[in-house]
Amino acid sequence: MSSPADAKGFSGRPTTLAIARPRGTPRLSERVAGVLLVLPALALLLALTLYPVVYGAWISTFNKHSFFPEQTFVGLSNYAYVLTDAEFWVSVRLGTIYALSSIVLQIVLGVAAALVVNERFPGRNLVRSILIFPYVIPTVLAVILWKWLLNSQFGLVNFLLEDAGIIDRPISWMGKDWIMVSLILVSVWQFFPFVLLGVLARLQSIPGELYEAAAIDGANAVQRFVHVTLPQLQAVLFIVILLRSIWMFTKFDTPWLMILGGGAETYIRTLPVYTYQRTFAYYEAGIGATMAVLMFLMLAAIAAIYFRLFRREEAL
Amino acid sequence: MSRARAWRSNLVLVLFAAALLVVFAGFPFAWMISTAFKESREIFATPPSFLPRSFTLDNLQRLFVETRALTYLKNSIVVSLSTMAVTIAVATPAAYSLTRFRFPGREQLAGTILFTYMFSPIMIIVPFYVMMRFLGLTNTHLGLVLAYTAFCLPFSLWMLRTFFQSIPIDIEQAAMVDGANRVETVLYVVLPLSLPGVLATSIFTFVLTWNDYIFARILISADELKTLPVGIADLYNASVVDWGMIMAAGLVILTPVLAVFFLIQKYMVVGLGAGALKG
Repeated sequence: MSSPADAKGFSGRPTTLAIARPRGTPRLSERVAGVLLVLPALALLLALTLYPVVYGAWISTFNKHSFFPEQTFVGLSNYAYVLTDAEFWVSVRLGTIYALSSIVLQIVLGVAAALVVNERFPGRNLVRSILIFPYVIPTVLAVILWKWLLNSQFGLVNFLLEDAGIIDRPISWMGKDWIMVSLILVSVWQFFPFVLLGVLARLQSIPGELYEAAAIDGANAVQRFVHVTLPQLQAVLFIVILLRSIWMFTKFDTPWLMILGGGAETYIRTLPVYTYQRTFAYYEAGIGATMAVLMFLMLAAIAAIYFRLFRREEAL
Repeated sequence: MSRARAWRSNLVLVLFAAALLVVFAGFPFAWMISTAFKESREIFATPPSFLPRSFTLDNLQRLFVETRALTYLKNSIVVSLSTMAVTIAVATPAAYSLTRFRFPGREQLAGTILFTYMFSPIMIIVPFYVMMRFLGLTNTHLGLVLAYTAFCLPFSLWMLRTFFQSIPIDIEQAAMVDGANRVETVLYVVLPLSLPGVLATSIFTFVLTWNDYIFARILISADELKTLPVGIADLYNASVVDWGMIMAAGLVILTPVLAVFFLIQKYMVVGLGAGALKG
């Protein structure tokens, strides 16, 4: 995984502006000052982010209780155990279903919304603010808002659906048949603004002449979208899809909080939820760490394939 | 003539689509606010009323009297502000150094920062917990602040770096030519110019910390140390769900986010690019 935002930011402009630097070899004092200023941040990053990653891989080779210090080295047998655990594969499947469906819907809704709020109309700024807002709220709030709307007895959604005659019995949105749908709905609601923001920033930087030229050539709205807008969005969509995939595939709090207070647990027990449970409900830190490493490896493999399939020189 | 009509019908279409999107994104909030101010009889009434007929502060009052919401609120404020202070204090000099000083390994460091922002909490939470337990930092706000600082540092460094880069180096050189030393230049030229960027970065740090559930869930088990997201989740998880009270709690956790949202809105794109609101 290289760093996608390194070369081009969301607006498609280079974020690493080349700045004029004094020429020649830097003075020693300058080098020392530079290093000293970075040191505290570097130390914290090494100790609290990079070290845990390495330590996690280390733990995965031990039979280790989450609370007590005792541990026995078991080599790769945690991996053998996890890879033959049926529950693990169920969680991978559920996680994939969740990630894929919610990503597709987020992209479609996010791009559509970006196209709408890129048009000129009265109140546009307020509309933009409202559409972005779900993305900045705590996940716990997103979940309880929708748990209330989707409440099977008193929820507004069931009331409206019954009132309109679409259903004749209330739907149990947190029950086994619908909880995945509800989870995807909440996630799309909460995360489509990310796509909206990224795409909107790019739309605003497309030169108007391109559309004028297309219009003169007789292109209709659909043709203009396909031949002018989409190619321009390619780079930003590449990054947005990559980041959304990483974050949806590793999403823990949304599914976990959906389960709280009586959700049909086993139907949305995705890989991150299962990892959490093995660590903090069964206290098997070794198994939990193993699943985290496997999660990372799967993501790295998917990212590698993704880069190979879609990477274009102009995309990054 | 026909062009004007086409433009007008296009406008109607756009307005219609915008209205649908606004209802989808905004209605859950409206419904929460409405519920939070209803009496419990009205909350469960059929058909439901969109505006509270019986406007009451009872839910909010019960939230603060019958639960420890005030403690959670206080904890959230303490932890978020501390994280903000520590992160900015550490990240600002580092980011300045990354843009203005040359030293070996500088570019690799910048790359590493970006790499870390692609990690999700769940991928490091197991070793992180074991580590914190070993250090005796579970069930302390210090442990929580350290966790959040680690989590916020990469994007803070990246954002601040972007802001510092946008300040023309000529201005600094001019100040130095005029006889200011490096420290004076930073204090009187660079910091005032980058103040909006530093503020925006601080707010992103605040929001990310304020919103977090997973680190607080794992590191804190003592009720009196819990932050709002965990407190509310536990309140919800109670045997009988008091929807009026839960919605009032939603109002409490929402208010600070709403208050700072308009301050950072124009920095959202920069923030997203840096991973300031990942998830």
